[in-house]
Amino acid sequence: MDDIPGKIVGNTIGAGGFRRLIVRLERPLGRVTPGQFIMLKIPEREVFLRRPFSIYDSRGKTLTVMYRVVGKGTDALAAAAAKAPVMVLGPLGRGFTVNKKNTCLVVAGGIGFAGVRMLLKRLGERGTLFLGVTTGDELKIAEDLEGSRLLTATLDGSRGFAGDVVSLLGRHLDEYRGKSPEVFACGPSGMVKSLRKLLEPSGIPCQVSVEERMACGMGLCFGCVVAMKDETNPYKRVCKEGPVFSLWDLSL
Amino acid sequence: MGSLAVELFGKRLKNPVMNASGTLGYGVEIEPLWGVETMGAYVTKGLSIKPHHGNPTPRVWEERYGMINSIGLQNVGIERFFSHYFPFFEEKKCPIIVNFFGFSEEEYVSCAAGIRPHDLIVALEMNLSCPNIKKGGISFGKEASAVHAIVRSVREATRIPLIAKLTPEVKNIAEIARAAYEGGADGLTLINTMPAAVVDIGRRKVPLKGGLSGPILKPVAVRAVHECSKEVPIPVIGAGGIMDTQDALAFFMAGARAIQIGTATFVDPFTMPKIIAGLESWLDDNGCADISAIVGITHE
Repeated sequence: MDDIPGKIVGNTIGAGGFRRLIVRLERPLGRVTPGQFIMLKIPEREVFLRRPFSIYDSRGKTLTVMYRVVGKGTDALAAAAAKAPVMVLGPLGRGFTVNKKNTCLVVAGGIGFAGVRMLLKRLGERGTLFLGVTTGDELKIAEDLEGSRLLTATLDGSRGFAGDVVSLLGRHLDEYRGKSPEVFACGPSGMVKSLRKLLEPSGIPCQVSVEERMACGMGLCFGCVVAMKDETNPYKRVCKEGPVFSLWDLSL
Repeated sequence: MGSLAVELFGKRLKNPVMNASGTLGYGVEIEPLWGVETMGAYVTKGLSIKPHHGNPTPRVWEERYGMINSIGLQNVGIERFFSHYFPFFEEKKCPIIVNFFGFSEEEYVSCAAGIRPHDLIVALEMNLSCPNIKKGGISFGKEASAVHAIVRSVREATRIPLIAKLTPEVKNIAEIARAAYEGGADGLTLINTMPAAVVDIGRRKVPLKGGLSGPILKPVAVRAVHECSKEVPIPVIGAGGIMDTQDALAFFMAGARAIQIGTATFVDPFTMPKIIAGLESWLDDNGCADISAIVGITHE
């Protein structure tokens, strides 16, 4: 973990409103485990706290983050010009753990793709991505994905499976019986809840990347907890013990 | 070279900079960036007799120049802190201040009584902003008589120096400071967060009520430090929105013998080491041999 100064070298909007921020860092971010994140100091006085972002890509001194405008912080980030100075704290948190013997089924909903993109890159041909988006246009989010098998779902039914991504996974789950399937997921809370419903009967291992409002990003403030089943320790820190948790430990 | 070392409650600290309770985890979390021994003392997360789970989310919300938190005092409890985390501070020979709270006078007293004196324990810091369950949930810190009573009870339960951390949400903070002093407090920490709320416009709801912190609070804290340090002859530790060396200097000049940094660490995790270095440079640049020379220099 390091706090690294950097400069924005790219900040463009793509299909479906997904934005890509490219930062040139003074030092490399160091070794990243897929699923880890960074806290970004947004170059705008009115944005007080840093914001957490999944690491979309990290190569040497170049860091890429994918985001959507969802509030004040990302709105200011979208307006940030090239060469604007930023600070990047990371890599943070506990990422995904990959067991080489398992068949890796990756489930992403919308911008949740940004949270599993590095994982997919590492998995290559060993990974299958189930990607769910609202409109067909948004499928471009995964256009530069190589190696992994891709199955798509659109809520408007314009392309791929017509419906939500968990239903799509449900249709294919039988194909992986006896192949030690393991699910890796990142997406909205509704997606995670239906994923639990789908996987509960089989109890298939499932790691899910969780999102919560954060202040520090490194376990100092206990602001970003997630509810756990364990009654003796019902709140764990998303930034420190997570953001990746076993779906079966979460109390949804 | 000017000296930042200070004597506080009979112990010598290498500098007068500490974290505010609850803003530096259990101390171990900052280790990848810098060590707790960089500070004069580490202030623990608020500890209670039994572990406390805290509040559901959202627990934090950003404001312009500040933030609101409603963590709900999640902590592992005093026993677990000492068995699990204290050895880390022993190994580093890092002095600590133990912040604690309760929801009744008895809970405060048992907390204080349960902590054995130790060379590294500089003081106990009582969080007086907690609601008193037995008195309809009114904060212990809001009435001078209640502050006097609880400080006196806790004072009798421990030999360790005792700091009262006061809430700014009172009519006359100097009067509260005097009550704490007369109850037997050896020092004061000023100020705790201020009660605040936010509205989520889109959802038309109040998603969070909690404590306001950050630079938005600084002038309020400076006033409290200024007034209380004139009112009572015990050390005042200043806290509230300190973001940089200039802010820190304002607190010392207002009368603080030491300072605590909280929210600023979330914005820049290196704020504390930077302020320590900044204060050292300031002493040198201003031909000042000792930080103590400027403490309360604004008092007439």
